[in-house]
Amino acid sequence: MTQTQADVCNVLYGIIGPFNTKGIGLKPETTFAGDLELDSLTVMDLVAAIEDEFDIILPLNMLPDLETIDQVAAAVVSIQQK
Amino acid sequence: MLTPTPTLDASLPRQFSTFDTLPEALDYAAKGTRGINVYDAKGNLIEAVSYAELRDRAVAIAYQLQALGLNAGDTVALIAETSSDFVAAFMGAQYLAVLPVPLPLPTSFGGRDGYVDQLRRQMKSCGARAAIGPDGMLDLLSDAARSMNLAFCGTPAQMEQVDAKPVQLPKLHTQQVAYLQYSSGSTRFPHGVMVTHRAVMSNCHGQGYHGVQLGETDRSVACPPFYHDNGLVGMLLTCMTCQTSVDFIATESFARRPMQWLRLISENENTSVSYSPTFGFDICARRANTSMLEDLDLSRWRVAGNGGDMIRPDVMQAFTDRFRPVGFDPSAFMPSYGLAECVLAVSFMPKGKGIMCDMVEEDTLTGDPISHRGQAAKARGMNGRRNGYTNQVPRYRAVVNCGVPLPDLEVEIRTTDDVVLSEKEIGRIVVRGPAVMRGYFNDEESTRAVLSEDGWLDTGDMGYMMDGCLYVVGRVKDMIIVNGRNHWPQDIEWAVEQLPGLRSGDIAAISITNERGEEIPAVLVQCRPSDPESQEQLRAQVRNKVQSETGIAVQVELVPPRTLPRTSSGKLSRSKARDRFISGGIIPLAAAS
Repeated sequence: MTQTQADVCNVLYGIIGPFNTKGIGLKPETTFAGDLELDSLTVMDLVAAIEDEFDIILPLNMLPDLETIDQVAAAVVSIQQK
Repeated sequence: MLTPTPTLDASLPRQFSTFDTLPEALDYAAKGTRGINVYDAKGNLIEAVSYAELRDRAVAIAYQLQALGLNAGDTVALIAETSSDFVAAFMGAQYLAVLPVPLPLPTSFGGRDGYVDQLRRQMKSCGARAAIGPDGMLDLLSDAARSMNLAFCGTPAQMEQVDAKPVQLPKLHTQQVAYLQYSSGSTRFPHGVMVTHRAVMSNCHGQGYHGVQLGETDRSVACPPFYHDNGLVGMLLTCMTCQTSVDFIATESFARRPMQWLRLISENENTSVSYSPTFGFDICARRANTSMLEDLDLSRWRVAGNGGDMIRPDVMQAFTDRFRPVGFDPSAFMPSYGLAECVLAVSFMPKGKGIMCDMVEEDTLTGDPISHRGQAAKARGMNGRRNGYTNQVPRYRAVVNCGVPLPDLEVEIRTTDDVVLSEKEIGRIVVRGPAVMRGYFNDEESTRAVLSEDGWLDTGDMGYMMDGCLYVVGRVKDMIIVNGRNHWPQDIEWAVEQLPGLRSGDIAAISITNERGEEIPAVLVQCRPSDPESQEQLRAQVRNKVQSETGIAVQVELVPPRTLPRTSSGKLSRSKARDRFISGGIIPLAAAS
């Protein structure tokens, strides 16, 4: 079953929760680097959590182009459809 | 089904890196059955390649590079993915006397432009004539290589398509430069360490024979990336030149699933040798839950090497507490010290000693190295002077014994005026010997700044000697280390200077220590506006700018104008800024609530 980008966004909010130490409001346009201030090790933690949740592999070379939660959601959907 | 390369191989007597050049070492290893293996994040074996096969692939690549028009002394940039493709290309260049230059991989969400820019700067700095990167990275690599007029920019598979005939390969000399290592330089102003065959061979010998003392039943398990000296030399080249099998887990896989590292060690029926910076031990100790420990057996982990960043005794304690029940023996810890300018390693703790600490008064450690001459000795006598600005009882810090310098390296502790200090006196660590670099590639000025005419390398680190062992207390260089990665303050400061209204000299990037003893990067910014709203806006701007340019999350502290200290020549003094900030001499403006 494939999910819509909006569905995926909602699931992502839940996954990001424990990493959102500043407790900022999560929106599709929230950025990982600027808003959430994740360091590279935390990012990998988060990547692992996302991969587990959706049972996908998020390739390393995609990361530089993924700035926002919405962009990650789009990437998850496109990987699921492959 | 793939089978990993064997640990044991009675057919080939072990030679401990006693070769003139890296190709000669691979030629020898190729006579045996050992090799390298790559595992994915889920612990599946995805590659098993013998040194014999690697040699054949490397020679084919040498022919292809030659067919593309590359000659001895040219450079080829390689995106340092953890794969046999990288290793084959790295060694292929060697056979043609072309210098391979490992380039870093991306490590975080976003920041495409910053990453591409970093690749471009390194390729320009080394004058790359060709670039090879894995399929998924080609887009980024081509962007970085735009307008560089390379003879080749493509994937390993595309390289295979290059029509090439066997040619006479050049005769190599041990004094020739073998490769360039960019792990020590700033991303903004990169400089590549020139490593000769003789240097790398002497250092691999030091590691394999004197340091970890590789034995017949040893197998290496490795997570550090190939673009760091730890991964490239510590794991790949030392094992290859000592004919040892290695199991690699890509660093990004390790970061996602750190327990896979321990699982590989557990599954190795023979003895394991594996190195990690402090943060690797830290995440394993923190992430492991009871169910993960169930079928884990770390009793055959012979050398658990510590290196790559400051070794933290509290983390090693936590790791021991967590994994001792599954057989981990803390005497397997092997602290070491080194730097890329000396290939990799300078000193190793003798086998079986584990972590040993010396207690030194905190005040002595943070002070100016010259004026405190002799303080370390006093502190150890428990009669060190009181902290100058409070009446608190002196605080002590545990300094880890980093072991004995390798036999062919000389180590001295000196003042900034090059006066040689005696036992227990804290000063600059300088090193001389065959592993010391020839210099930074095409960068005479940076070379002269760290390498004296008589061959002494200024490591940029501070420490002292005691009973023949080296104790490293910190850095003179203002380098900031986050999770085992070096960051140069200049890069962070440069990013902040790009913001409107700020100029060079307004900003000091420093490393501060939090209550858990971890280093955190901080920027002190001289702030002119006095209304809280503008100040809050500036904080956010600085934070975002640094994050997008460098990928580092920094703590931003606004300080009043003209509070950042200067040196006598008018340059920003980061070490003074740091000391004053920590001691309360610079008081940051209060953050808006």
